[in-house]
Amino acid sequence: MGDAKRYPELRRRLSYRWWTANRHYTMYMVREWTSLFVALYSLMFIYGLSLWATGSRADFLNFLKNPAIIGFSLIAFVFTMYHAATWFYLLGAVVPVKIGRSRTKPWQALVLNIILLIIISFLAIWLVVLR
Amino acid sequence: MSQDVATIRVTRYRPEKDSKPFFQEYKVPYRHDMVVLDALNYIKAEIDGSLTYRWSCRMGVCGSCGANIDGEPKLTCASFLHDFKGRTITIEPMTHFPVIKDLVVDMEDFMEKLVKIKPWIIRDKETPPEQGEYKQSAQELERYSQFSSCINCMLCYAACPIYGLNEKFLGPAATALAYRYIEDSRDQGKDVRFPIVHEMEGVWECTLVGECSVVCPKGVDPMLAIQKTKILGATNALKSLLMPRGGH
Repeated sequence: MGDAKRYPELRRRLSYRWWTANRHYTMYMVREWTSLFVALYSLMFIYGLSLWATGSRADFLNFLKNPAIIGFSLIAFVFTMYHAATWFYLLGAVVPVKIGRSRTKPWQALVLNIILLIIISFLAIWLVVLR
Repeated sequence: MSQDVATIRVTRYRPEKDSKPFFQEYKVPYRHDMVVLDALNYIKAEIDGSLTYRWSCRMGVCGSCGANIDGEPKLTCASFLHDFKGRTITIEPMTHFPVIKDLVVDMEDFMEKLVKIKPWIIRDKETPPEQGEYKQSAQELERYSQFSSCINCMLCYAACPIYGLNEKFLGPAATALAYRYIEDSRDQGKDVRFPIVHEMEGVWECTLVGECSVVCPKGVDPMLAIQKTKILGATNALKSLLMPRGGH
């Protein structure tokens, strides 16, 4: 630049509404916000388990039977599934598997992981509850 | 032959006169084969010679003419005016970068990052040219070739909100280039580059927004390069934990 006079540069700050600028940003924020429900559900479940550990099984079951808790669990389930699906898809985008000359597509990873999730969930339910 | 007229709204920032940027509107007659850069050149030649912007090749090779067109980071030479027919086209300087004048942004930060990742082949010991070239198979080339298509247009930085929040973030293009050398079979500079890409503001800052790969005009996937670098770093750390006496 030599000795030329430098004028002040214009510095812009990221607007707090940046995620409304396009659909991709918005979907990213939805993905991130749904993780909040995963965290809240985990806290709720840890509290439920603590009831069982310190008190009685009835306390724990009553806690779970509370309509508000059932309602929240359902909402958390939907958001958790959405959150999981977005990451299954990204997993396929980031680590595609090479089969012969072609590479797997992200949606294939999504489908495979959902199938695995169902199988593992069923096995867990069978081991803990049904057996 | 009939001509359409485009309404172009351009950010003006003249630091010697203005403390704030403002929009200026121009009417530009255009043919079907004209791009946004042609409109800017028309404005500069025919209407207002003070309008300032960067450009060079006009054909998507040099990476100089990036701007935000209707909010999206794009090359002005690769955006046809007829695609915006019937509406005002808003052209702003690329997001996140400091603006020097009008559409010209300060590239210094990106240039420093480019140099930082050492974008050249590093050898433990250079062999003299007489001993021949370092050979590579087609499969070895394929591992990194897409990442070598980067033209340093910085659109990926303009699209990255993480960079907007923290300009210390190494960012998409620099990491894609680092990964290009890490994956190059002729390169032996892993130990030099790993600490750079894995420092606090390196790849781990990325939260997978993914917009960098959407806006890239050359089909490079920087998001992929960043995640692959994360995987390499994590497996390397695990290896050195399990085999401290050399697991590379």
